[in-house]
Amino acid sequence: MEILARLVFGFYAALIVSGALMAVVERGLVRSLVGLIATMFGVAGLYMLMAAPFVAFMQILIYVGGVSILIFFSIMLTKARPTGDEAKGRPLRKRFNALVTALAAGVVLASVILKFPIPSLETPRQVSGQQLGEGLLGPYLLPFELISVVLFVAMAAAVALAWQQWGKSK
Amino acid sequence: MSALVLYQLVALFLLATGLYGFLWRRSLVAMLICLELMLNGAGLSIMAAAQLTPANAVLGQLGTLLVMGLAAAEATLVLAIVVVVTRRFKTSEMIAASELKG
Repeated sequence: MEILARLVFGFYAALIVSGALMAVVERGLVRSLVGLIATMFGVAGLYMLMAAPFVAFMQILIYVGGVSILIFFSIMLTKARPTGDEAKGRPLRKRFNALVTALAAGVVLASVILKFPIPSLETPRQVSGQQLGEGLLGPYLLPFELISVVLFVAMAAAVALAWQQWGKSK
Repeated sequence: MSALVLYQLVALFLLATGLYGFLWRRSLVAMLICLELMLNGAGLSIMAAAQLTPANAVLGQLGTLLVMGLAAAEATLVLAIVVVVTRRFKTSEMIAASELKG
């Protein structure tokens, strides 16, 4: 059982790593988006492996079903050309700077994680959907209501920003 | 390595790749994609810390859901901003939008 869990973890981790690299390295935006979707599926699989099926399905519903469609719409709406600024060569120093910044953050945090490992449970905790619902309507009611306000404000602001006739309709 | 460390390392990889892409890519949509990578890493890290330690597991799962909701709200707003920038500058790349007027 232990070996099976490691195998499944390795599969999802490989999916995440290859998807993330594809999302970052590919020049075409649609291919980048495909890499991001692979990463999202991998993360959903890891949630499933951590015995959190509700959050895993929410990940697929919100990220794969919602956010990726939004990003695809913004690719279509902006008519991104494959021969744009992205394809032009840039000085190697800039790539080096970006790489050093990302590696610095990664190496520092990884060394902290590896040096001071927190003792981990062998099997993940079991949380039922009922407990989640009681948490949402009990002690964590305020964040639950606030996220709905945030989503509403974001939607209204998106419509207000993108409305072409805003201010000139009079 | 314990399971928690493995999950945290995967989340850290997502953070580092997202950061690199965010700094390197030029078009706004690609930067949004890299931002989503970083947010996925954050959610994975919160979830691993909640499910594999004796901490409050309900709080961790709800925190991951909160991160997802914020990511959806942020993607909506960024889509609107990208549309506005494209309409004004006729391109969705950062170089055009990074110049000040005057």
